[in-house]
Amino acid sequence: MAYELLKGTRVLDLTMVFAGPVSSRILASLGAEVIKIESAIRPDVFTRGNVYPENDPGTEPWNRGSYFHALNAGKKGITLNLGHEKGRDIFKRLVKISDVVMENYSPRVMENWGLGYDELKKIKPDIIMASMSGLGHVGPLRNYYMYVPGMEGMSGLTHMTGYPGEPPMLSGFSYGDWMLGATSSAAILIALYHKKNTGQGQFIDAAGREAMISNIGEIIMDFTLNHREQNRMGNDQPYAAPHGCYRCNGDDNWLNIAVENQEQWIGFCRVIGEPEWCKREEFINSSSRWQHRSELDTLVEDWTTKHDKFEVTEALQKAHVPAGAVLSMKEVNLNSHLIERGFFDVIDHGLGIGKRPIPCQIPAKFSNMDSFIPERAPSFGQDNNNIFGELLGISKEELIALENEQVIGGAPSFPPGRPTRLNLIQQQNAGELDADYINQLKEKYKTDIGINQNKEK
Amino acid sequence: MSEPAFNGGVVLDCTEGIAGPYCTKLLADSGASVIKIEKPGDGDITRKMGPFLNDKPDIEKSGTFFYLNTNKRSITLNLESESGKSIFIKLLHNTNIIIENFTPGKMAAIGLSYETLTKIRPQIILTSISGFGQTGPYRDYQTSSLVTFGLSGAMFTSRPATDTSTRPVVEGGRQAEYITGLLSFIAIAAAMINTKDTGKGTWIDMSALECVASALGANIDEYSYLGLSRKTNPFAIHGYPIGYSVPCKDGWISLTPGLGGAPNIPLLIEKPELLDDPLFTKPAQRMADPKKFDDTLAPWLREHDKWEITRLAQELKMAFTPVLTPGELLDDEQLKAREFFVEAQHPVMGSVTYPGAPFKMSATPPRIGKAPLLGEDNESIYGGLGMSQKELVALKKQGII
Repeated sequence: MAYELLKGTRVLDLTMVFAGPVSSRILASLGAEVIKIESAIRPDVFTRGNVYPENDPGTEPWNRGSYFHALNAGKKGITLNLGHEKGRDIFKRLVKISDVVMENYSPRVMENWGLGYDELKKIKPDIIMASMSGLGHVGPLRNYYMYVPGMEGMSGLTHMTGYPGEPPMLSGFSYGDWMLGATSSAAILIALYHKKNTGQGQFIDAAGREAMISNIGEIIMDFTLNHREQNRMGNDQPYAAPHGCYRCNGDDNWLNIAVENQEQWIGFCRVIGEPEWCKREEFINSSSRWQHRSELDTLVEDWTTKHDKFEVTEALQKAHVPAGAVLSMKEVNLNSHLIERGFFDVIDHGLGIGKRPIPCQIPAKFSNMDSFIPERAPSFGQDNNNIFGELLGISKEELIALENEQVIGGAPSFPPGRPTRLNLIQQQNAGELDADYINQLKEKYKTDIGINQNKEK
Repeated sequence: MSEPAFNGGVVLDCTEGIAGPYCTKLLADSGASVIKIEKPGDGDITRKMGPFLNDKPDIEKSGTFFYLNTNKRSITLNLESESGKSIFIKLLHNTNIIIENFTPGKMAAIGLSYETLTKIRPQIILTSISGFGQTGPYRDYQTSSLVTFGLSGAMFTSRPATDTSTRPVVEGGRQAEYITGLLSFIAIAAAMINTKDTGKGTWIDMSALECVASALGANIDEYSYLGLSRKTNPFAIHGYPIGYSVPCKDGWISLTPGLGGAPNIPLLIEKPELLDDPLFTKPAQRMADPKKFDDTLAPWLREHDKWEITRLAQELKMAFTPVLTPGELLDDEQLKAREFFVEAQHPVMGSVTYPGAPFKMSATPPRIGKAPLLGEDNESIYGGLGMSQKELVALKKQGII
């Protein structure tokens, strides 16, 4: 669901891959007009490629990537070559009529193009510029090559994730990138509010690593207050037991249980039919349960292994015990609670993709505000005529000339024959395939999903 | 001179724990006047949560509470009593934003529904943060960080790539709460901008489950496009390893050569004779024999420490990075140069160092400040409502403040 809260705000988005597009997608969902800028030389290759509907890249693979569609819904798309002087001139004309410029190039790129904040400020004094990077726009390590593992690993979070005695673990979902994106959106909104109040713009320097450190504040505080270095604890939480992830009936089925107080413990024992456990000396209170947690975990898992994760979730929740199944991507897509609350937008992507549910990136529901379903992510260069022609008033002849000079337009440079994400995952045995997914989705979302095979060209 | 961005905004913060307070901390650090309403007696639950200064449990010495409540004021008030409620309504006359994280329906049950509130303050922005949202089949479910993570899909993929049959593990710390706090802040900031433009208020419904599911970004779509449910973050993209932790002399290192970087690995490990080895030149080879790849690197890595490896690899344009412990961050040269950690004076804890803002802003740098003592601002805030010292003493006796 998208809203019109930021109506009238124009954002120029030079970002690629995950972090930046998450941030501008949040702004687009809140009503900003986001213009995504790519070029034939610098397309958003990683998200445009990789995951294709039904694993079919088709003739224009760059318009079919699922990551691209999920992260860029609701945006406009133009192609503009900033490596060309004429491209930079057009960009500056766009800056003049925009509120925000966001970029996630390595720190020197924008300055080398003469498009650093000081330059943009001369063109548009109240411009807000957000630079997103791994370790920050300034500082001795600003030029480090960084991906998610760096943002997470250098923040302390990786050290805190995983089981004791086992290697520290990276997140399973590019968390660092996403957090950098969301954090940048927060800063941009503060800046937009300030601009409305005072007419002043500013420069935002968002570092993925620092965004991550902010999320382990209480762990850092143990060091600053007591010089204690905390360590990873798996799924444990001090003095809560049983607290963890337990195997359930079936293949790769898991359930989380988080008993945090005596009342929940009593409810738990009742539900699983072991009221006697409450009377056992070693489980009598939270500190004794914590002390004997490995023994308790074994007993709990003996029971959960025989039961269905969804049935146990319901039974324990009925007794007010925090518990929940560990859902796979399939189960998330088909989850009734998420679907009923409109977490997914079912967007018609055309382009031989058809309708697919797309997760939102800012799941806020605003009462008494106009809402709408966002447009699908732009196909490559889709809005060139609109933005260059109508918004900037560049004539048709000029546009053709610019295209010939490779300033705008063109097909993206897209390495042919790249393995798809599915091929990689199958090679590594890193996932499970459900052949019936289109039907499953149709049934749950009560609408057509995917393309009608009979009508396909 | 710079001024905080949200100067003048008044927030009544009825939340406790992590998600709500983190959201209002971001508001307070950005300049809003946040009045934290705490239970008389104990206050916010994180006051009883460690780490405590010198490990001495004390409601005024919790590091968790300090970090999550910088720049706020604190009053104590029992919202469930009639006179508590009428004081709350008095406070409302000057308020722009209310944030609460009671169980869904409780605000209405104690007579403070959104409709009631709008009768007093038509432009009010009410934000309700809960585990599963104000509607839907899970509305009344009990929540915890672990449970939210599991139900969101974020945990299923958190397993080592080398063994996807292992037990999923939750992200360290309290990520579900922080994610929810950050997204709630974003929603409120957007609503504030909208109120400025249109004069309209709103009721914002935030669900922790949906916040964490959002953080999966595009990963969820692998099912609707392919029918795929991933069990891990794949350990290789285009045939190069990404970011799993391998041991080195003094800890762990993330191996991420990045696109096209792997051919330089033989130079890093001082084995130039391997420069033409298909293990490093041909992604398919590396994919076919990941163990051989790891075994070739392991001996050299074990002889070198994490910063040494990182510096050498970065010179070779490979994105190797150290896995740092929380304590190591305090000495980190980049964080020092960026003045990331900040310091504030607290009447009981003394000088406290804590992580500064998650972003740098040139015109409106976030404020640095301490967390409030329990009820520290009772006198000034209730006094400002025209309540006499005598009244305050009486209310205190009744356990209302």
